[in-house]
Amino acid sequence: MAILVEIPPPLREAAGGNVHIQVTGTTVGEALTDLIRQHPALGTKLFDNGQLRPYINVFVNDEDIRYLEELQTPIQDGTTIALIPAVAGG
Amino acid sequence: MQTTDPLERYSRQMRLPGIGKAGQERLLASRVTLCGCGALGTVLANALVRAGVGFVRIVDRDFVEPSNLQRQVLFDETDIAENLPKAEAAARKLRQINSTVTIEPIVADINRSNIEDLCHDVDLILDGSDNFELRYLINDLAIKLSKPWVYAGAVGSEGMSMTIVPGQTPCLRCVFEAAPAPGEAGTCETAGVLGPAVGVIANFQAAEALKILSGNLAAINRDLLVLNLWDNIIRRVRIAPLAGRKGKCPCCALRRFEWLEGEHGTQTTTLCGRNAVQVSHRRSSRLDFETLAQSLRTSGSVTYNKFLLKFQLNENGEFYEFTVFPDGRAIIKGTSEPDKARILYARYVGY
Repeated sequence: MAILVEIPPPLREAAGGNVHIQVTGTTVGEALTDLIRQHPALGTKLFDNGQLRPYINVFVNDEDIRYLEELQTPIQDGTTIALIPAVAGG
Repeated sequence: MQTTDPLERYSRQMRLPGIGKAGQERLLASRVTLCGCGALGTVLANALVRAGVGFVRIVDRDFVEPSNLQRQVLFDETDIAENLPKAEAAARKLRQINSTVTIEPIVADINRSNIEDLCHDVDLILDGSDNFELRYLINDLAIKLSKPWVYAGAVGSEGMSMTIVPGQTPCLRCVFEAAPAPGEAGTCETAGVLGPAVGVIANFQAAEALKILSGNLAAINRDLLVLNLWDNIIRRVRIAPLAGRKGKCPCCALRRFEWLEGEHGTQTTTLCGRNAVQVSHRRSSRLDFETLAQSLRTSGSVTYNKFLLKFQLNENGEFYEFTVFPDGRAIIKGTSEPDKARILYARYVGY
């Protein structure tokens, strides 16, 4: 078991083309820090002055961290973190 | 079509326990405005008209082009040869499909000055658009008038949808506080689009519409649906607790309709004698030219420096040149029509 981050299509180029990236950490914030350590180009895509960009929604096992504990939301082995920006187009 | 019972054509649909004769009669009496008639819109219009929704107003600002046919299911080569607007081409097909319902095609750019007129007299607003500006505008109006609406978007092989019922579910801004910056989300022009992906998500929207219009509000999907047909990802994420975002959602909690009141969005100015239109876009952060250039390179030639980005494009034999500034403003050379410039801006800069 591991912690997986699911990368949406618009961010994949900055994530080495990966759909899923395995990370470590005990909170969502730590997991995203590890993600950016592995793929530094994701840094400015996800954060602006230390704040998550308002159009990046983060879901932990399909629950939104904004009604959990935001970046302090605890995670454990087996957790999937999905990054979900709004989809334009149509 | 000669039948004794006008409801016979809906017999298979009425057999569904949630619909029945009463539900069908509600569908026949219901009214919808469809905002945009491209890939999502053609699938939605097809489903609604076949299902017997009694009045469908189809609003679209664009014409049928060859690159539409891969996914925009109501159009064919004849529509291109006749140079038909999408709303009109769709209405012609739909009337052949079902002559017993009313279809009102309107060729117009939906903006904050006309959206209320276009939507005030319907039961449901459907999002068939291709840009965030219109979606936030629909959201503002739907909350203001307390009308349900169904959002969907699709790019690449990915699609997403949520159903908004004012007072019962989160609104678009509860979930997506802000839209990705221009150039950061990808559009169907820059990232491509898989026909079946947009078809699936639009049919999902259509099912939501039929539930609402037939009086089955309890059956609607209250999650955010996200799917990616290429990566085999289907996700339903829980958004219900975001409703009103603890009393701070600017739209549904504070009732500040920023898009409807013109605090956000694009404005156009024709630059006289220059065959060019300036599209201004109100935004707080500066554009990232590197990201934008990357997404535009698949469509034309791009150069940029610290001050501006130039993008040259040949679209169906028409030549356009975009000069984009860090504040999101663009001068689009090659047209003097504001509507065309807004279409090009939404299509390539992506808002």
